[in-house]
Parts: sequence; structure tokens; C-alpha cells
Amino acid sequence: MSGRVETAGRWGLVAQFPAPLGARFARNKLAVAGVSVVGLFLLFCFIGPLLYSTDQTHTDLTQVNLPPSGSHWLGTDAVGHDQLGRLMYGGQVSLLVGLTAGVLATVIGTLWGAVAGYAGGWVDAVMMRVVDAGIAIPALFILLVVSAITSPGTLGLIVILGLVSWLVPSRLVRAETLTLKNRDYVLTLRATGGTHGRAIRRHILPNSVSTIVVAATFQIADAILLVAYVSYLGLGVQPPKTDWGGMLSAGLTAAYSGRWWLIVPPGLAIILVVCAFNAIGDGLRDAFDVKGRG
Amino acid sequence: MNILEIADLGVTFSTDTGDVPAVREVSLHVRPGETLALVGESGSGKSTVALATMGLLPGNARASGRVTVDGTDVVGAPEAALARLRGRTASMVFQEPAAALDPLTRVGSQIAEVVRNHRKVSRSEAARAAVDLLRRVGIPEPERRASAFPFQLSGGQRQRVVIAMAIANSPALLVADEPTTALDVTVQAEILDLLRRLAADSGTGVLLVTHNMGVVADFADRVAVMLRGEIVETGSVEDVLLRPRHEYTRSLLSAVPRLRLSGTDAPATQEPPVVRLSDVSVRFGRVRALDGVSFDVRPGDTVGLVGESGSGKSTAARVALGLVAPAAGSVSLFGTDLGRARGRARRALLSGVGVVLQDPVASLDARMSVAECVAEPLRVHRRGMASAERRARVAEVLELVRLPKELANRGPRELSGGQRQRVSLARALVLRPRLLVADEPTSALDVSVQRTVLEVIAELQRELGFACLLVSHDLAVVQEFARRVVVLRDGRIEEQGPTMATLLHPETEYTRRLIAAVPVPDPVLQRQRRENRAALGTGAGA
Amino acid sequence: MDTLLYLGRRLLQALAVIVIVTIVVFCLLHALPGGPARGILGPQATAQQIAAFNHEQGLDRPLPVQYVYYLRELAQGDLGTSYTLNEAVSRLIEQRLPKTLVLTLLSALAGLLLAVPLGMWQAVRRNRPADYVITTLSFVAYSTPVYFLGLILVLVFTQTLRWFPSQAPQGDTLAQVFADPAALVLPVVTGAASMVAVFSRYMRAATLENLSEDYVRTARAGGAGQYAVLFRHVFRNSLTPVVAMLGYYVPVLFGGALVVEQLFNYPGMGLLFWSAAQSSDYPVLLGCVLVISVATVVGTLLADVVQRVVDPRVKEGRV
Repeated sequence: MSGRVETAGRWGLVAQFPAPLGARFARNKLAVAGVSVVGLFLLFCFIGPLLYSTDQTHTDLTQVNLPPSGSHWLGTDAVGHDQLGRLMYGGQVSLLVGLTAGVLATVIGTLWGAVAGYAGGWVDAVMMRVVDAGIAIPALFILLVVSAITSPGTLGLIVILGLVSWLVPSRLVRAETLTLKNRDYVLTLRATGGTHGRAIRRHILPNSVSTIVVAATFQIADAILLVAYVSYLGLGVQPPKTDWGGMLSAGLTAAYSGRWWLIVPPGLAIILVVCAFNAIGDGLRDAFDVKGRG
Repeated sequence: MNILEIADLGVTFSTDTGDVPAVREVSLHVRPGETLALVGESGSGKSTVALATMGLLPGNARASGRVTVDGTDVVGAPEAALARLRGRTASMVFQEPAAALDPLTRVGSQIAEVVRNHRKVSRSEAARAAVDLLRRVGIPEPERRASAFPFQLSGGQRQRVVIAMAIANSPALLVADEPTTALDVTVQAEILDLLRRLAADSGTGVLLVTHNMGVVADFADRVAVMLRGEIVETGSVEDVLLRPRHEYTRSLLSAVPRLRLSGTDAPATQEPPVVRLSDVSVRFGRVRALDGVSFDVRPGDTVGLVGESGSGKSTAARVALGLVAPAAGSVSLFGTDLGRARGRARRALLSGVGVVLQDPVASLDARMSVAECVAEPLRVHRRGMASAERRARVAEVLELVRLPKELANRGPRELSGGQRQRVSLARALVLRPRLLVADEPTSALDVSVQRTVLEVIAELQRELGFACLLVSHDLAVVQEFARRVVVLRDGRIEEQGPTMATLLHPETEYTRRLIAAVPVPDPVLQRQRRENRAALGTGAGA
Repeated sequence: MDTLLYLGRRLLQALAVIVIVTIVVFCLLHALPGGPARGILGPQATAQQIAAFNHEQGLDRPLPVQYVYYLRELAQGDLGTSYTLNEAVSRLIEQRLPKTLVLTLLSALAGLLLAVPLGMWQAVRRNRPADYVITTLSFVAYSTPVYFLGLILVLVFTQTLRWFPSQAPQGDTLAQVFADPAALVLPVVTGAASMVAVFSRYMRAATLENLSEDYVRTARAGGAGQYAVLFRHVFRNSLTPVVAMLGYYVPVLFGGALVVEQLFNYPGMGLLFWSAAQSSDYPVLLGCVLVISVATVVGTLLADVVQRVVDPRVKEGRV
């Protein structure tokens, strides 16, 4: 029932060591599908416009509100923008902001969590109370407040998203650091005169990589979703630039009157990409055998 | 009729990297009222045989052959039939009492559950039966204890609860898989006494799986020795233990550290101590881990720190290493007060110490090659050393610990436990330290491997002249390798002195009981020791 | 005794967190462009008018002093006055919060009632087709923006099938809310979907972990059938980590409420916040943030306490 292999006793030689990382990841079909999806979308959004160029800045009132057809594969919106092109164009922002913000959040969180975990004591206690406070404040609310105060551009958006999302990775990295700090090889190093710096640089950080990578993948997924929320609520990038969330917001009322092509493609795009990143994160976590988000 | 009949049992596991045959053509039998010990090291397949007997093999295992328990076939039997068998005709006791019980259910309820699985009784009747069983297994105040949660009981008490669950429905066969391995030696002796008494009282057949030859001598009537999935020797316990025929059995028996019952001490040196603990006390929260502990280790000497779990021996070693700061008292290393040393001076001081810890898996950073692991102290303390010289030093020390040169570029994952501990030892010795601190260096290894590692340490000590602080729960190991012994109990020193004198003529009751509880792999001798121990009286039901 | 010490320590931690939250909110309050003055007096205000206003409101005193005043106001329940609605923020929140709580609790309850059995079932049927299907659906549900799901639900169930109304109950009192249960269905389902996705995964992982624990083997060795073991032992042990996660999920629930209320026009705190964001009504915005954060801290504390009651093992002081 458990599937646990009992080849050797508790400490004996591992009769065969587990298959290499790549093979383990490849066995998770969902994760592999995720990688393909991400790859396809990256191509679609960044290479696509080179093959299928449309005008996304000027309006064309002769082409307003057209359903999908031969000349506009996904129709047009209320100001005449071609929707397929807009999907690519918006995707660039969604993906760029999501990827960068996710990585930024992971970097900040890793630094914070590693310091807290390694230092221990009251330093750890204070740093973690700050994290608890940050988690207690709902991200969406803070985002709205901050966006209301300052209308951020793309860069500002990335920074704000990163500042709001670093909390979860920090807790994961802190837990990992605590575990690693007490590993025998670190204790041995310190007992024979090794410095804290060496312990962190040579042992703790390299062994945390798997946790950090998994956390980063989930953060990217979350960031793309969060950007979509912020833009939907009208406080993300401003027109004529847009992202998928903004497209949803713009197409909202139109959808009620039956113009489904304005919301279904961007909605599906968000779902597919976020799903893909979550699947990749899940697959990485299983392949690395890391404990993290369920 | 045999209570357990195994004919040509084969078990194969399907894993990530292919099929692994864990058990090959094993045949054995257990008669009612008899105890058969199944002995082997890790990977021998003995636990797999035990699980197969109960039909508890994991999902990725395929069994072939015949296993018959009291006339019922187990291999290939439907789950419903097996559930009827388990807990009634055949019961099992496992190794880890800590994890064996549901942490959220009271122990009385867990015992009652086994009763109600097989008998149609009311809840209150089952609860009464549970209390009764607790009494039978020697738990004091059974009515009160029945409503305790597992975490409120000690390891020995938890194992007694598991045993209570096993005998609840008077099984004809009891399968015990390393039932005392995770317990302290005095508790082990008591649990074995209990099992023996229960089996004798009810004529139960026992299949005892263990790697400990002393336990075999203490308990078994017959022995079967397993190696790599096959049985290599069977016979009565006197025959196999005193007159072993198979080469493997012989090597196994010779590798077991035996408690000697006579011997003299070598004279001690009078040079100033390499490490000295003076009146050290350590507290972790409200727990007093060490209380007023004083001892020292002199150059070239090996001092053994012995004690049961919770005695503070590991803590004492960590204090000596400067990993734990004492709340009171002082620690001096090479004549300097460790508590006051800081920065570069402290690091220089610590460079004279080598460390080997218990867990072979966690001792080495799996991301570094063997050579890199061993070279780390060189990088920390001899920054200016050229890489060619470093490589030479690493090769030199690997040879010292009898490891082949080719292993230098492998990763720790590719090594066996014994090899990993020797790499750990190489790393500890690469700077030619004056002190080696070894905390249970071989406890996690198989018996035959233990001997190699310990012999290497002893040989290198003679050659290189370092002092050694050896922490161990195994009195036989300490007796063989240490010149002085410090017996710890609940954070305090019970007694200390030259090894032979202290262990063979102990002054305190506790030490006497500790030694009496260690089983010797000689059945005739062990029977005598058991009677002597009974005369001593046991401690409170642990 | 141990429990009391633990509770005391958790309470102190919670207080510390709340203090930090007030500091954050206070800083945001003072990061506003032009400060509250411009908000109230309007963009046409002259520099003198602003200075006079600031002096009157005590806004030119040093920041730490203002923080102390702020704390004092908070202690008296004064969260300021809305710029646009001309009412005390605390009254507005008092009015709207219960409705949001109803929606959130219903969503959470529905979500858990579905997630827990689903997760357990998935663990038992691990890696079989049913597990894969549900896992994929969970991923999709987890990755879908709440408003998109709501939108689709409205399009399908309201416009096409005409089963449920497109707006949530509009009334002011709780009684009015419950008077129209059909209107609650779509909002609750929308709010619960993400929760089901996340918690079924947690439950699945916790159950799987517990299934390979030693005590399962002991129980089976005593003759218990597979399902008996599952319900008697594994279930309760798996629930503990899930309960722990509930506390941290509270802010997510409120975030979801924001979007759901906006989509279904439900007059709760989320909609209040949303309108305030549109009109830059900072006192309302920050008052809401404060209340929700405190609610989260309380929620986490409760979850911890419940966990400790359910799991009697002595918990090590987790920082």
C-alpha cells in the first residue's frame, strides 16, 4: 500500500540510487506538457508579432467589434484592435512581468529567509514576525492601494509585485536553512573551525538550490496571476499597452452582450500559462524530492 | 504441525531502476513454542521475510513460493483472509516504537481496536481487556496509562504497548522484527524477558528477526543466517553460535564486539590533558542535559563516553567541540579555555580537532566529491596550499583509512555506509589533529563493517598518536577500544575510571545493571548472565 | 501549564504582528501624494489651505508622535472618515463586514467539505486515471483568475441556462442576504473553487504521507482492513497540517471576496474597498486593510489553537 521499497535496512548501502533528475522529471507527463506550453507561448508572444504584425496603438474605427473571421482570426475589439495580435502583445507584458516579478520575489525571499534561518534567535523571531505581518495583509488589497497612489509603469509593477510576493519563498528558504544548518557536515565544519560564511556559501546555499528553484517556479505562476488581477481591476499597465488581464477587463461588458472572443482567448491564455508553471513546479518538486507547497 | 512453514519463498521488488530480488528460495519452519532467530545484516532480506509472513509486503513486491501460517496460505491470499489472520493467528512487533503507534489515539483504544477486530465484544469489554493486557506486559498503573497518548510514554513503554497489541488475541505465531534495536540496552533486556515469558506462557512460536548476535543467544532456540536473500546456515542456537560452519557465519560472529569478562588495564599517561571539561552544566530550555560533568582526555588515550539515551553523552562531546556553550563550568582545549577563545585564535585551536559523527548519509555533503569533502579542512586552515599538494595530502590520507584511490572522484552517494564513515575519518585526520571526537561512529553500520572502521581508527591512533573521545552506547565497543570510560546517567557522571576496572568491578548499582544487561553471543554464557541479572533485580518498568 | 505558556507566546507573537501591520498602514497613510489634505480639499487647494488643514489635523507634528495619536485613535475604534461617503470608516466597515464574512465562511465551508474527502480519495487512488483527472482539474481551478471563473459561470448559468441570477443578494441586513439563497450560489461556488483546488492538494499530500507511516503498518498487522485504517487513523493525522494551512489562507479568501463581490455586485467589504479604490478614498482603503489584516492574524491564531487542541503532542516553540 505504501510503495516504499524496503531493499536495504535503515542504514545499509542503497542498492541502487534513484534515476537521474532529468529522467525523474520527464516521467511527470503533466510537467513535461507544462514545459511545452510555456515554450509555445513564449514563441507565440515574442516571435509571433514578427510573423503576424498588427497595429496595436492606433484605433481603426472601421474594424470595430468584428467576430472572428478570415482577416481577423480572433475578431476585433471596441476600438478596432485585432484581437489575435493583441493577445500576443498583451502576452509579452503578462509573461515579462510575471517572470521578472516571480524571480525578484524569490531572490528577496531567499535572502531574507536564509539570513533569518541561519541567524536564529531573536533576529529570526523579528524577521519572521515581519513576514507574518506581510502575509496577514492581503496582497491584492495592498497592490490596489499602492497602485492607486502611484500609477506604475511596467518596471514599477514588477517591483511592487516582487515586494508583495517575497513572503512565501522566505518561509520556505528559512525552513530549508534551519534543516541544513543542523546537518552533520555543517556541524563538522564548524566544530573544526570553519567560518559561518563558508558554511553558507559552500553548503547551505548549494543544497538549497532545489527548494529555491521550485519556489521560483511557483512564484512565477502566482505573479502572472496577480498581474492579471491587478490589470483586471484597472490598475496595471495603461492603454494602449495592455496585458491579458487588461484585455479581460476591457472585454467585460462586451462579453455580456455575446462578444465572447474578447474574453475567452485571454482568459484561456492565463489559465494555460499559470497551469503550466504550476505543473512544472510540481514536477520539479517531485523530481528534487523537496517539501514545499502542496 | 509447524506453526510457520516457508517453502521456497522468493520476493522481488520492482523499483525505478529495475527488479531487485530481495529474497531467494528461502525455506524455514517454526514449531509451536519454539523461537527461531533470523539473523543477517542490512540487505539480507530478513525483514522482507518477516513482512511476507504477515502478507504485509509493500505494493511493488511480488512474492512466489509458499508461506503457511497455522495451515493458512499467505502468498496470494485475498486481503480479507489476511486481515482475519493478522492480529489473531499471527501478530507482528516492529522496530521503531516511536512511530509504531497512532499519535492521536490513546494507547488503550489502540489495543482495544485489535481486540474488536477479531472478537465481537462491546467497547467497554474491549477497554477492560486492554487494561488487562497492559498489566500483562508490565506497564504500571494500567488503568491510568490506558488513556495516555503515545508521546507521553517512553520508548520501552511504547514497545510494551505494541507487544500488548500483538498478544491481544493469543496468536499462535509472533513475528518480531528487530523489536529491541531502537531501545536502550537495559530496556532491551527487559523487553526480551517479557517476550520470552509471554511466549513460554502461551506456547507461541516466535520468528525473531535481528542482527544482534547477543539477542539471538539470549532468546532463540534455533537460528537461520541470511546473506543477500538466501539462508546460508540453520541449526540450534548452540551449534550455530558456538560451532559455526558457514564462512559468513564465522566472519559475522568474529566481527561482533564481545563484552570481555576479564582483563587488565594499560597504565595511563600523566601528560597534560588534550581536552578537559570542568564541572560543566548545560541546559536546553528547562531540560538539564549535563550537570556538573568533569573529565579529561589525555594525549594518545581513548576515553569512552557511555550512557543510555538521554544520558548527555552526545551533549558532552559537543561541549568539547565548542558547538554547545556550557551554562556553567569550563572547557579547555589543548590547554586553552575554549569559552574565551574567539576569531582566528579559536579557529586555530579547533583545527587541531577531527570529528566523525554517527550518520553516514548526513556526514558528507552529497554535492561534493570524496576528494573535495576530505580536502575541506585544508581549504579552511591551509589557504596557501597549492592544489597539487592538497591532492597529494588527500590521496595520502585516503590510503591511511584503507580506501582505494579511485574513490576520490566519486560522489558520496555511490559509497556504502562503511566507506562513507571512512571518508569522514579521512577528513577528520587530514590535518593530523591531536584529538579525534567520534560520536557513535559505527552505530549506524552493519556489524562486519563496524569492526573494520573501528580497527582503522585504533590502528591510526597507534600510528599518529592522537587522543580520542569515543561516544558510544555499546559497552563492548568501548571496552575494546577505550582505555578509560566515563559512565553518564541523566546528565551526571555515574562513575569513571580505567575501562576494565570500572566495567568489570563497577561501584554503582546502575553500572552493574548496565553491564548485566548487555547480551553476549554465547548462549550458554548468556543463560548464566540472565540468571545473574534476574538476581540483581530490574529497574522500574521502563 | 504548557498549553498556557504556548498560548501566551502565540498571543504575544500575534500582537507583535498587529503592531507591525499598523506601522505599515500608517506609513502608507503618509505616503499619499499631498497627504490627506489634498484628498479632502481637492486638487485646487492652495498651499496655505493645505498648511492650515495640516496644522488643524495635527499633520505637521513629527511622525512618531502622529503614530502614537494614530494608535490612540485605533484603540478608540476611530478609523477616520471616508472622503467620499462622509461617514465614519468604522461604521461603514461595521455595516459591510458581516456580509463579507458570511460569503467567505460559506465559500470556505463549501470548499473544505468538498476538498477533504476529495483529497483523501485521490491519495487512495494515487496515480490512477481518476487521480490524474482531478489533479489536472485542480491545477486548472487553481490557475484560473477568480473573476474569469465567475464570468464563465455567469455566462453559462445566468445568461444561457438562466438558473441563477447574475447578482448576489443586495440587501443591507443579513436576513435579506439569506432570503435569496439562489443568488448566493454562484458567488459561493466561485469563491470556493480555488479553495477546493488548493486544499484537496494539501489533503492528498498529507494523506499520502500518513499512509506510509509506521502506525498504518501496525494497525494493519492487528487485522484492520484498509478502509478502517484510513478512517480511524489516517484521516485525523492528515487533517492536522491542513488545519494549519487554513490560518494562512484567510488573506487569500478575503482577496477572493474582493473580486467576487465586485463581479456579483455584492454589498460587502470587498465592494466597499473596490469603490474606494476607484475614488482614491484612502481612509476607507486603509481602514479595510487594517481590519482584514487583524482578522487574518486572529484567524491564524485560532487555527493554531485548534491544531493544538486536536493534536495533543507538545509543540516545540516554533518561531
